[in-house]
Amino acid sequence: MAIPTGINSASCVVLPGVHGFNLPFLIVLLISVVIGFLMVIVFRYTSDQKAIHKVKDQLKAHLLAVRLFQDQLPVVLKSYGRILRCTGRYLLLAFRPLLFVIIPMIVLIVQLDRYLGFAAVNSGQAFLVKAQASGVDALNDISLLLPPGMRTTAPAVHAPASHEVIWRVVADDGGAYDINVDIAGQKLAKTVVVSSGLARISPVRLREHFWQRMLESGESALPSNSPIESVEVSYPLRDISFLGYEWNWIWLFFVLSLAAGFAFKTVLGIEI
Amino acid sequence: MRVLSNNEAVTSERRQRAFVLLAIAGLVLLWPLRSEAYAGPGAGFAVLSSFWTLFVAFLYSAYAFITWPARHLLRFARRRHAYRNAAIQRAVILGFDGMDPELADRFIGEGKLPNLAKLRQQGTFRKLRTTYPAISPVAWSTFMTGVNPGKHNIYDFLGCDRNNYLPFLSSAEIRGPKRTLKLGKYTIPLGKPCIKGMRRGIPFWHWLGKAGIFCSVIRVPVTFPPEKFPGVLLSGMCVPDLKGSQGTFCLCTTVKTDDKFREGGVRVPIERNGSALHSYIPGPEDPLAADSGRELRAAFEIRPNGNSARITADGESFTLKVGDYSEWVPVKFKAGLGFSARGICRFYLKQLSPEVEVYVTPVNIDPARPDLPISHPVTYSIYLSKLFGPYATLGLAEDTWALNEEVLDDNAFLAQCYGNHDDRERMLFDALEKTRQGLCACVFDTTDRVQHMFWRYLDEDHPAARNVARDQRPNVIEDLYRRMDDLIGRVMKQIDNRTLLMVISDHGFKSFARCVNLNAWLHQNGYLALKSGKTESGDWFDDVDWSRTRAYTMGLNGLYLNMKGRERQGIVAPGTEAESLKQELRNKLDGLVDPASGRIGITGVFDCDTTYAGPYVENAPDLIVGYGEGFRASWDSVMGKVTSQIFEDNLKAWSGDHCVDPRLVPGVLFSNFKIADEKPAIVDVAPTILKLFGLPLPGHLDGKAWAVATEPVG
Repeated sequence: MAIPTGINSASCVVLPGVHGFNLPFLIVLLISVVIGFLMVIVFRYTSDQKAIHKVKDQLKAHLLAVRLFQDQLPVVLKSYGRILRCTGRYLLLAFRPLLFVIIPMIVLIVQLDRYLGFAAVNSGQAFLVKAQASGVDALNDISLLLPPGMRTTAPAVHAPASHEVIWRVVADDGGAYDINVDIAGQKLAKTVVVSSGLARISPVRLREHFWQRMLESGESALPSNSPIESVEVSYPLRDISFLGYEWNWIWLFFVLSLAAGFAFKTVLGIEI
Repeated sequence: MRVLSNNEAVTSERRQRAFVLLAIAGLVLLWPLRSEAYAGPGAGFAVLSSFWTLFVAFLYSAYAFITWPARHLLRFARRRHAYRNAAIQRAVILGFDGMDPELADRFIGEGKLPNLAKLRQQGTFRKLRTTYPAISPVAWSTFMTGVNPGKHNIYDFLGCDRNNYLPFLSSAEIRGPKRTLKLGKYTIPLGKPCIKGMRRGIPFWHWLGKAGIFCSVIRVPVTFPPEKFPGVLLSGMCVPDLKGSQGTFCLCTTVKTDDKFREGGVRVPIERNGSALHSYIPGPEDPLAADSGRELRAAFEIRPNGNSARITADGESFTLKVGDYSEWVPVKFKAGLGFSARGICRFYLKQLSPEVEVYVTPVNIDPARPDLPISHPVTYSIYLSKLFGPYATLGLAEDTWALNEEVLDDNAFLAQCYGNHDDRERMLFDALEKTRQGLCACVFDTTDRVQHMFWRYLDEDHPAARNVARDQRPNVIEDLYRRMDDLIGRVMKQIDNRTLLMVISDHGFKSFARCVNLNAWLHQNGYLALKSGKTESGDWFDDVDWSRTRAYTMGLNGLYLNMKGRERQGIVAPGTEAESLKQELRNKLDGLVDPASGRIGITGVFDCDTTYAGPYVENAPDLIVGYGEGFRASWDSVMGKVTSQIFEDNLKAWSGDHCVDPRLVPGVLFSNFKIADEKPAIVDVAPTILKLFGLPLPGHLDGKAWAVATEPVG
């Protein structure tokens, strides 16, 4: 495949689709199993296993009490109160391991989300590029510069209420492109990935908004003196087929990593 | 500028780190975005489990709420008499197995039992007549059914199989599953073991339950297997261990010896393997190799380290110091093909030098995952286990054999007893909380076991304590009574003035200083014959010539005639011959004198035909022997052994007993209500409770309801 001019190859890894395999699913499955395993290990060593075991036993006891003494309403009510108390204590005990894993997990999930959260646009498929300015005055000065192989299919739409200019664009060939938003001579690049495979995708390039940039954008910040606040590409959300349903990867990861975690905790005898 | 010390710097750094972590966690939790909303399986587990718990609780509660009016109506329609005629709202029965009225009276008089004193002063204190014989399974069966043994079929711990002169457990029969599948070398059980309760009669809590009166029954003897009734019940005395025995401890030792324990325990070798030592716990028979007698084993490892050792059993490791007990440890006996038996036991590190010795309690049925039903409903034992942790489920949970065989010392035995007792107390107070109306009955065995084993220190001149100076003797029994009194005090604080509190015991206690081998007496007096050339027999009548034997004894108080048509090799004709033989034996045995002390060894011999009445009298022995104070059946005689000596000293720690003339060992009856009857009996408890709850008395009951003034005092 010829690499068109303007392609940013450094920040973009494109994994081609493998015929007959649901690659995103396999990746989610693999990561879920590994993470499920690692998490139960981390849980084992960062939690108070004895206390968790005890509070879970207490929970079960109070549940059984509701059943055993069901004819005695005061006992049922008291048991229900104790169930709530034990649940609170259990959540508190589970919170400590959460502190240990929360940051690495967020980093991991953010990185995975770059690959699995959105699908790249296909060649020939129209997509929107949206530039948001900090004020309405700048809107008339904004233009879009496209690399060869890309073209707009409609005039730019100005939305003064939201300080936005929107273009509809089509790429003729696959690849990773740098498009530029020009405002008063200042050129602000944004990567666009056109592919049918699995690619690292950054849907938005932002000015400031540190946390949002960390979590949503895979690109460097826009210059702080720029009147443009963000440049966004409307990638479609990726759905992964599993058991006859279309899943968002995070839900699939949730289910599979839990299943893996439950399996490993049973095998390893870890109290969760 | 002040320079931070190292500690301050570290603390400050920790604080900063904690602050950053908390801040991040807070940010993430307060502003969750799509991708970080799920922070891995750890959070997922917590959320899912909590949700699931609350969901199930909600379902349970919703079910309870929604169906409550319907159930209430149904109860009202079916049992509209519940509480309508009741003189009390709640009855709390504390059973202190073996609490002796004379000792209680003495300690009350000395001001040591303030709560019992209060009950005596403001309510009732009486001697409670016991059963014939005065043995716990017999007396407690009478307590719960309100009938004599002829109607409940329990005459001793052991019954006698007349076909082979061998003993069987009188309370329950456990057999393998009815159907099996033969698969090569394996015999796969299809179904659960068959457990048949041998006690007959209907416990009074069944009548109460049917009438809509809720009952919590904890560890009353002879309630295994648990019977269905509207209430909760945890079985007590007679629940077997995982081996199916009434308690088989295990002493793992590096000492090489062929000696075997007389009963109640086994020695298991410890093998050295480098720095580690290996041994095993003997378990039940392999269910897949039926009839082979092959036992399953659970291996464990010991790694000594100074004055302690690391023990690893079934993947669980713990460290024990010499003289310490472990918590309850789960053990698994694997049989193959995925079959296994699970139990719990406690380890006691006896010594590490010069030899290594580890005592392991009998393997109890795990209450959280019972292989046999030990409660009704089954979930009740699970509930208690989840609430309080694992607990002893074996009927005779206090290992008296281990102390008798000097495997445990006094302190180790007491620690075991009071550990079990504390568990029982927790169960009692939970039952009190859950049973605001109805019956709450709980039996404590500690009183019985401790008196059995420590009476030697109370006796002036007990053979088993002659080597202990009088001033060195611990006040174990006085301490026991104080503890029980304290428990009663705490229970009294939990009850209101519409609650009847009854403290009862099934029998009292006496010293057991001299053993009587009745089989030896029968042999020497021509009633029991040995095979030619033999002067003694083995256990269970080995070498007894049945063709010339007219009478024999087995168990604690029963004497049997070798009756034609009943015993397999019987020679005594029923009718006149049997009657005259019984009379002859009674005449000779009643008043039998111990030549060494000049004291009377037997103070009464009772004919079962006149003592009992009911459909099961035929299963009773022919005579009940009532031993005099200080005497009891010898250890050998109980096991069907004929020795050359009739009387001998009892040198065992088991030094107090109640298997004597029942007239000598009444139990106690304390109550917070005034009871008018002067001579109450244990058989009267059931009708009294039924009457107090306003229920009609079933016609077959032998007991009489007491006149109770239902205005509590104090």
